[in-house]
Amino acid sequence: MLVLQNMAIKHKLILIIMLACIAGLVLAGVAFIGWERSTFRNNMVRNVSTQAEMIAENCKAALAFQDAEDAKETLRALRVEPSIIFGAVYTGDNKLFATYYRNYADIKVHPSGFQESGFSFGDGLLTVFRPIVLDGEIIGTVCLRSDLSPMYAMLKRNTGVIIVVLFLSSLVAFLISSRLQKVISGPILSLAEVAKGVSEENDYSTRAIKHSNDEVGLLIDAFNEMLEQIQQRDVELVDAKEKLEVRVEERTAELTAANEQLTQEIAIRKKAEQRQAQLLEQLEKVNQELKDFAYVVSHDLKAPLRGIKTLTDWISTDYADKLDEGGKEQMNLLTSRVGRMHNLIDGILQYSRVGRVKEKQVQVNLNELVSEVIDMIAPPENIAITVESELPTVECEQTRITQVFQNLLSNAIKYMDKPQGQIKIGCIEENGFWKFSIADNGPGIEEKYYEKIFQMFQTLLSRDEFESTGVGLTVVKKIVEMYGGKIWVESKVGEGSTFYFTLSKQEVRAKNEKLQANIVS
Amino acid sequence: MRIRAYSLIVLALVLFTAMIAPEARADSATSSEYQVKAAFLYNFIKFVDWPKEKTTDGNEPIIVGIIGKDPFGELFEPIEDKPVKGRKVVVKRFKGLKELEESREKNESERHKQIDIIRKCHLLFICRSEKTKFKETINLVKDHSVLTVADTRGFLKSGGIINFIMEGKKVRFEISVAAAKQAKLGVRSQLLRLARRIVEEEQSNEVEK
Repeated sequence: MLVLQNMAIKHKLILIIMLACIAGLVLAGVAFIGWERSTFRNNMVRNVSTQAEMIAENCKAALAFQDAEDAKETLRALRVEPSIIFGAVYTGDNKLFATYYRNYADIKVHPSGFQESGFSFGDGLLTVFRPIVLDGEIIGTVCLRSDLSPMYAMLKRNTGVIIVVLFLSSLVAFLISSRLQKVISGPILSLAEVAKGVSEENDYSTRAIKHSNDEVGLLIDAFNEMLEQIQQRDVELVDAKEKLEVRVEERTAELTAANEQLTQEIAIRKKAEQRQAQLLEQLEKVNQELKDFAYVVSHDLKAPLRGIKTLTDWISTDYADKLDEGGKEQMNLLTSRVGRMHNLIDGILQYSRVGRVKEKQVQVNLNELVSEVIDMIAPPENIAITVESELPTVECEQTRITQVFQNLLSNAIKYMDKPQGQIKIGCIEENGFWKFSIADNGPGIEEKYYEKIFQMFQTLLSRDEFESTGVGLTVVKKIVEMYGGKIWVESKVGEGSTFYFTLSKQEVRAKNEKLQANIVS
Repeated sequence: MRIRAYSLIVLALVLFTAMIAPEARADSATSSEYQVKAAFLYNFIKFVDWPKEKTTDGNEPIIVGIIGKDPFGELFEPIEDKPVKGRKVVVKRFKGLKELEESREKNESERHKQIDIIRKCHLLFICRSEKTKFKETINLVKDHSVLTVADTRGFLKSGGIINFIMEGKKVRFEISVAAAKQAKLGVRSQLLRLARRIVEEEQSNEVEK
């Protein structure tokens, strides 16, 4: 089949036609010979049977009256039929009664088996048995054997004729098919030629020529239609390509513009960042200078102040008898002012120390720390400080957290105006923070001062009324914020105020370090 | 019925006397010869056509008569049961004409009955004992389509139809076509072909085969 597939269509057609022709002829020949053979055989059987019948009829009397000579005479009549080479008459008990041989040499042509009736082919002979019936009784049997070689000779001759006819017919079929195949293969070949031209030269404008209105014609129509469509598509494609190129160019231009803009913006931003960094650096420098300055000033101021205090003590001691009451009062005022000055400088020192002086971070149990702070403050009899809830253990600098509680509790005690003062310390957990509260039943703070109290040197009452530096809350705020927390106040005037501050549970340490790093840089 | 039974008894007596007669007893050689002859008698029936008036009723048996001193004895017995042409075969034995004539005085009607029965036979074998009475016997059945057979020389001359002859040990026969024609019997050519001699004209112009 593969060989057939790879052949040219022309040869394929011829081959198919030839195969069909030869197959038909061979089949017809075989059928003819087969039919002829069977006809021959049938005729022969019929002829020989008829002869046997005649012999049987003529031998009846001979058998009945046991006249073998007469039977032999009857059999001798077979001479006229050259194909019959043997004849015999058997008696009723199957004994040979009379025989006939065409040639006396052919003694061996006796049939191999005895039958009462019927025929058989074998040994190149047809053997026919016929019963001899007299008055409804089988009184003997006739056997005739006929030579089949004339039949075979005739069949052979006929086969030869058929082969010659077959050869001649094939030749004619070949001549006709090789001429007529062009009717089919011609249009297909021309179509193939056009298709090849189209695919090689990409010329979609050529068209195949239609020769006929059969399926090949339809194929050519379809092919031409297809070519037309391809041509159209081709044009559309070229068009689309051009459009696309234009659009790509446009887009590229837009992108380039946007890119340039972006580059410019990035440059501007970079400059701004540089500027910011510069400013930040300046700010840090200024801040540091300020801190150093504050420290140096307060530290250096302390020394002359101590001198003044000492001198004041000396004067009031040494000149106590020389000074009148006015003088003494002046001297007391001086001492108290110097004391205030001292406190103020201490406060500033404390404030500047926060974040500047580093301490080791430790686990601090706030329950213990708060009770220590309360002991240290030693509150007056009329003020009760209670811790309302269990306080946590936090990791921080012990001095700082001590300062926070100390300042807040001192403030509450300092401003207490009620005869029975109550201060309550609490702590709850809220959003990953510890939220501490220190509530008093003091005078309270007006809302407009909620922010102001945390600013440096701000006191709500005159300094003559309360000894206050105005630094405490500022220091507390700074410490809390250093730990990433917040501090605020809630209050009702006349009923008391509550200071809240938060400490991060997890990020205390991290924030602390970050803050310290920032401060250092 | 009575008459028939009586005649049968007479026939049996006749047969009995024939059988015990020492000259009628066949020796072994003649017995095989008569065996063949008996078979031939049967076969003659198959090759001879009787006129219509003799075969009106299909069911009636074919009667084979043996007249005179019977040489066959029991030889018919094995073939007696075989039907021929679809009919039964009955073998009947008769006294010779001499005896019949002798009994004339005693019983005229009995004699006539015997003759009637003889005339009804299809085939009549006339034994050698009747040699002197051939012509008379033949004349008796002449117009009644009876196939007369004998095995005695000169039988055809007397007007008989078939006569057995011996060719060595083989049994052959001769036929008088003229006599057959006279008796309105059709003899088939197959049978004629086997005859050793055929007599075409009455008692003359004999054709030797």
